[in-house]
Amino acid sequence: MKLTDEIVIKAPKARVYAALNDPDILQQCIPGCEELTQHSDTELRARVVLKVGPVKAKFSGEVALDKSRAPDHFSLLGQGDGGVAGFAKGGADVTLEEDGEDTLLRYDASAQIGGKLAQLGSRLVQSTAKKLAAKLFKNFAEILDEERVS
Amino acid sequence: MKDEVDNREERVANLKGMGCARKRVEDVRFTQGKGNYVDDIKLPGMLHGDFVRSPYAHARVKSINIDAAMALDGVVAVLTAKDLEPLSLHWMPTLAGDKQMVLADGKVLFQGQEVAFVVARDRYVAADAVELVEVDYEELPVLIDPFEAIKSDTVLREDLEDGADGAHGPRRHHNHIFLWEEGDKAATEEVIDSAEVVAEEMVYYHRTHPCPLETCGAVASMDKVNGKLTLYGTFQAPHVVRTVASLLSGIEEHNIRVVSPDIGGGFGNKVGVYPGYVCSIVASIVTGQPVKWVEDRMENLMATAFARDYWMKGKISATKGGKITGLHCHVTADHGAFDACADPTKYPAGFFHICTGSYDIPVAYVGVDGVYTNKAPGGVAYRCSFRVTEAAYFIERMIEVLAMELNMDAAELRRINFIRKDQFPYQSALGWEYDSGDYHTAWDKALSSVGYDDLRREQAERVEAFKRGETRKLMGVGLSFFTEIVGAGPVKNCDILGMGMFDSCEIRIHPTGSAIARLGTISQGQGHATTFAQILATETGIPADSITIEEGDTDTAPYGLGTYGSRSTPVAGAATALAGRKIRAKAQMIAAYLLEVHDDDVEFDVDRFVLKGAPERFKTMKEIAYAAYNQAIPGIEPGLEAVSYYDPPNMTYPFGAYVCVMDVDVDTGTTDIRQFYALDDCGTRINPMVIEGQVHGGLTEALAIAMGQEIAYDDLGNCKTGTLMDFFIPTAWETPNYVTDHTETPSPHHPIGAKGVGESPNVGGVPAFSNAVHDAFRAFGLRQAHMPHDHWRIWKIANDLGLHD
Repeated sequence: MKLTDEIVIKAPKARVYAALNDPDILQQCIPGCEELTQHSDTELRARVVLKVGPVKAKFSGEVALDKSRAPDHFSLLGQGDGGVAGFAKGGADVTLEEDGEDTLLRYDASAQIGGKLAQLGSRLVQSTAKKLAAKLFKNFAEILDEERVS
Repeated sequence: MKDEVDNREERVANLKGMGCARKRVEDVRFTQGKGNYVDDIKLPGMLHGDFVRSPYAHARVKSINIDAAMALDGVVAVLTAKDLEPLSLHWMPTLAGDKQMVLADGKVLFQGQEVAFVVARDRYVAADAVELVEVDYEELPVLIDPFEAIKSDTVLREDLEDGADGAHGPRRHHNHIFLWEEGDKAATEEVIDSAEVVAEEMVYYHRTHPCPLETCGAVASMDKVNGKLTLYGTFQAPHVVRTVASLLSGIEEHNIRVVSPDIGGGFGNKVGVYPGYVCSIVASIVTGQPVKWVEDRMENLMATAFARDYWMKGKISATKGGKITGLHCHVTADHGAFDACADPTKYPAGFFHICTGSYDIPVAYVGVDGVYTNKAPGGVAYRCSFRVTEAAYFIERMIEVLAMELNMDAAELRRINFIRKDQFPYQSALGWEYDSGDYHTAWDKALSSVGYDDLRREQAERVEAFKRGETRKLMGVGLSFFTEIVGAGPVKNCDILGMGMFDSCEIRIHPTGSAIARLGTISQGQGHATTFAQILATETGIPADSITIEEGDTDTAPYGLGTYGSRSTPVAGAATALAGRKIRAKAQMIAAYLLEVHDDDVEFDVDRFVLKGAPERFKTMKEIAYAAYNQAIPGIEPGLEAVSYYDPPNMTYPFGAYVCVMDVDVDTGTTDIRQFYALDDCGTRINPMVIEGQVHGGLTEALAIAMGQEIAYDDLGNCKTGTLMDFFIPTAWETPNYVTDHTETPSPHHPIGAKGVGESPNVGGVPAFSNAVHDAFRAFGLRQAHMPHDHWRIWKIANDLGLHD
């Protein structure tokens, strides 16, 4: 499953990059994120409640960040275990491009799912993932937008 | 008295014996919601079990933490392999000589595999607790493709000793199960190599699932005071379950009572022994309370026995004139994680070697390689005798492909190769003795009934119209002629887990002339209570309406091997007729005594014995039954009972001719089945209405399999078709109208000449539907397209042939 989209963030590129690395901001953006803790510069631990169709589950997992191509690129790789609901793993490549005072954020994400999620939700997974990803970056844009206004 | 002699027709009608379209006596309770299924059984103090199942298709189980689940209010126990190990029940034998994990022992090998069994006071609590069991998995590489599995370095079955033989001989790779061969390989290859015409094709019969309306389940109740275990369950073979339960648990067989109540469809899915049964029994022994386990639909589709999954590579050779000279077949059989096929012990590929079909093929060879993959175990006969539907599909596709190669009409090709009537009993190249048949008569009747020549003309016109751009619909004429092999089987070569495949019937005639008969089989919708009473009515003269048929309780019914593979009528039906004849023999002696004549001076007439030449002097069966109990007859012990155990001398070979006429929309891939004609020859017909019902049901399942039903996996081993949203079950909307017909060629060795019919429509139906799809595209060169022929795949055929350009 692949997800690709772009969104304009009303903030300079450096600020966007820093925010992407801020667990507090990320936690506010990720739909259903109950906990996001950083335990090294590039490793995070997350707990997310996810609902796909009839399956609702608490996923706990690890996220690894790759900052080697900063400040234009940012990528992450994660996997989560949702118990009887199944498991998910995936990654995202984020590219940042200056657009005047704003920043154009492009993301290219892929995910693999297994277990009950894959069985019951297979028809819904693509649309749900798309919706969740869109919501994540929309939240992100809003937070940075508010920051600039205030 | 005179009246009673003259009203013979009325007496025959009153009997409702063989040949009568008697209404099904079961339907009164089923249509009123008064059936009694496993899930209807509620015992005092009953607990409920539910499984923690693996989300992974292949993973190591590093740890299982049950603390949170045990802490939940209402949870009584959580069983893991560690708890079953001291009882040696963490693994169990399969019907195919392999073994299977009851609960994950160190690793999981397919998605949905049983990992832990939660027992709780309430079904909902059990489900909640399942979510609280924490299992730590380490993912392992997944093998879904059998051709890859047989080469891969990844070892699936670490429990099997490397290089050691399996239950069916040498294993040449760690993911190989067996190679089973039949026929003369060298001679077949020689014939094919030097043949005038050879057609070669890979025919895949995809993985599907019987998907009975009622899923599998059990209620185990261990009475610790009396030491008796009662096990209610969805068992197609209750007596076998009792013996296996005794052997596994060490509980003596007389202390185990197995009961199959009403069963909501089996179709092979309820032949095997599943971890749920074992866990219910163990949980009941551990807790001392009854434990119920009933799986849900997803569990049924992803974890209990699948069917088919045969990759059949065929070569068929012929003369230029179309006379078949040889057949070669190699099968790669995907058995999933454990070999749990339900086949007679000697035949790891079932009766697949009936794959020479209805044709006189002088030389043939078949080899079957069984392979392990990360899929659910099974390989049951889904509404067919063991692997017969695979065999029939294979040969009926090969015939079509050969017809293309020869540029010949496929109906004609069949006709010139059929085994002739005068060749029966016919010895096939692969070792079967076909008992009887008259294929040419059936074929001619089928083709003339559907107006075959006109259909071909219409089809040719349609192709021309399509080419001129006047229509986007093609027309296919799907032909199928099949020979089934059912009624397993002769004890000399058929057994399951060492138990010979005879069957049985026990009859008691009551003093007032009504009766109860018990059989070793078990109805799952076939209507045994209706049809077996009809056999007895004809054989004993007691009206069918006065006979109760009872099956499924091992404490009362005689031992038998159960119902699958269309074996009930060929085997238990024969036992029933013979038990009836024993009753009649004793009744004759009683009648002669009562009429004060010699035994040979009376003869049986519908419902009585009459004095030969003086039919006005008679004794009815009612009078005879009363006398049997209440009159002291010198030399004859009181009572009127009989038991018969029947070991069939041979299988029976029902056959049929099916034609499916289909319009195919090239642009949408949708199909419209205009006509479906099914001629069945099942020998003597016991109840035409029940036969018609069986044929309709079997054809609808064939439609499902051919046109959309499958168990599909993605690369991770996720079962993608675990719900009825994705697994196709036809409704009235998709189901076409069927025209049924018959010829009648009685089996020469069966006491009443009956052959079995329940599975014929599935065996013959699948090739008919599939051949219709293929035939629609024959003019454009389509040779082989794998099932299921859903809309997308048909659209893809058209697209690949360039018909959308």
